[in-house]
Amino acid sequence: MTFARQVIEPGGWRRPGLPLSPAIRAGEFVFLSGMTATDPTTGAPARGAVTAETRQILTNMGELLKAAGSSLAKVVKVNALIYSMLEYENMNSVYREFFPVDPPARTVCGAGLIGGHKVEIECVALA
Amino acid sequence: MTEGVERSVIEPVNPKFNVSRNVNLPHSPGIRVGDYIFLSGMGPVDPVSGGRNLGPIAEQIRQTLRNMAHMLESAGSGLDRIVKMTVVLADAGDYDEMNRVWREFFPVDPPARTACALQLSNGNGVEIECIALAGKSPAQGI
Repeated sequence: MTFARQVIEPGGWRRPGLPLSPAIRAGEFVFLSGMTATDPTTGAPARGAVTAETRQILTNMGELLKAAGSSLAKVVKVNALIYSMLEYENMNSVYREFFPVDPPARTVCGAGLIGGHKVEIECVALA
Repeated sequence: MTEGVERSVIEPVNPKFNVSRNVNLPHSPGIRVGDYIFLSGMGPVDPVSGGRNLGPIAEQIRQTLRNMAHMLESAGSGLDRIVKMTVVLADAGDYDEMNRVWREFFPVDPPARTACALQLSNGNGVEIECIALAGKSPAQGI
């Protein structure tokens, strides 16, 4: 059996203008690109505190997953990058609100991020 | 895969390895979906005390891989079922040492792997995550 490979682009979202797709659905899985805090309709960065960026990212992630027929509750694995591990608990405090029960498997690391962002999050979800 | 694939939480038999529960972090040790197991990043947690074994990097890596074996075996899988791993080192200078330990654990047909150096939590020198196939390998009699 061959799975279709489908690009996921929510209606009304501005294309990133980068050589990547927001998400690809393949079989029963959806693979999301790393997301930073952005106003999805204008594409403008929404930089702020780690808590605010985390909230914006996970809100957008929920919308993107919905466009793929999935949802935050169906996320399997998350990779989160933050600019400093000193902000780990600040990220977690908002993250908990979005994944209150049986949260996804996850890895969090501190890294140098692109574009002055403090948080970047990617995930794999069930479609 | 078929419609209606289940998403279930994987937990270690040894509760000391259930770091997210023990220190109340918002992740699950692992998630199984269909034929795949996705594990969270694991570190050198001591199986008896639940604390961190922050000794020489080779020992940290061995401890982490033993813990990963335990986590996978708790879910009916094993190290030989790993498809893809990501290794994060706190110090890129430990790369050669990591590879030496890797050959001890994966002497034949090792998994696909990405390694990089990033900031880690809890003073860990290493953190390792993986995607594995669920179930035993056919050689082990399914």
